[in-house]
Amino acid sequence: MQKGQEFNCVFHVTDTVYNGFIAVFKDKNPLHTEDTFAQAKKFDSKVMHGNILNGFLSFFIGECLPIKNVIIQTQEIKFALPVYLNDQLDFHAKIEDVFESVNTYEIKFYFSNANNKKVAKGKIQIGII
Amino acid sequence: MESNQILKEVNDIFIDVLDNDDIVLTRATTANDIEEWDSLNHIQLVVAIEKKFKQRFTSSAIQSWKNVGEMCDAIASNLV
Repeated sequence: MQKGQEFNCVFHVTDTVYNGFIAVFKDKNPLHTEDTFAQAKKFDSKVMHGNILNGFLSFFIGECLPIKNVIIQTQEIKFALPVYLNDQLDFHAKIEDVFESVNTYEIKFYFSNANNKKVAKGKIQIGII
Repeated sequence: MESNQILKEVNDIFIDVLDNDDIVLTRATTANDIEEWDSLNHIQLVVAIEKKFKQRFTSSAIQSWKNVGEMCDAIASNLV
């Protein structure tokens, strides 16, 4: 892996992902489970949990990089727009910096929706173990 | 940049990364003197220092540092 290297993936917020998240973490806040509640708050429908995207990030780091001996050291994400059930998200990541002295990479990323709007962005620092 | 200024800026990085406002580094300070300075935080410190001073070190250079003073000397030598 080298500075400037880019990666692209596609993720779907399927029923399985959504229901699985709720089954595991029990967050049934009405914003995430009731269309009428979400619409009263000016959203199109129930809003997916932001941390579903962190699950996708985990998959990217663990499964999509060309090496497996990695560990996430730090991670930050900013949520810009809501994600809805059945959304397809394009994921883009780029190695922004390399710190060879401590075998560490800084990766910037964003998710965009079908309207090509960024719904979330952030950066992850990973170490080679 | 004078060595005292480097030490001050490194001190600020330690306070931020280790989330401890009470840290006061001296040239003799080592990881044994600061509870939060563990192996994972050491990585964060090095990354923050390399970013701040726009420098890159080798792993062997980092491992050779015996204390904060030698870390600051390495930063200073790269600034010249």
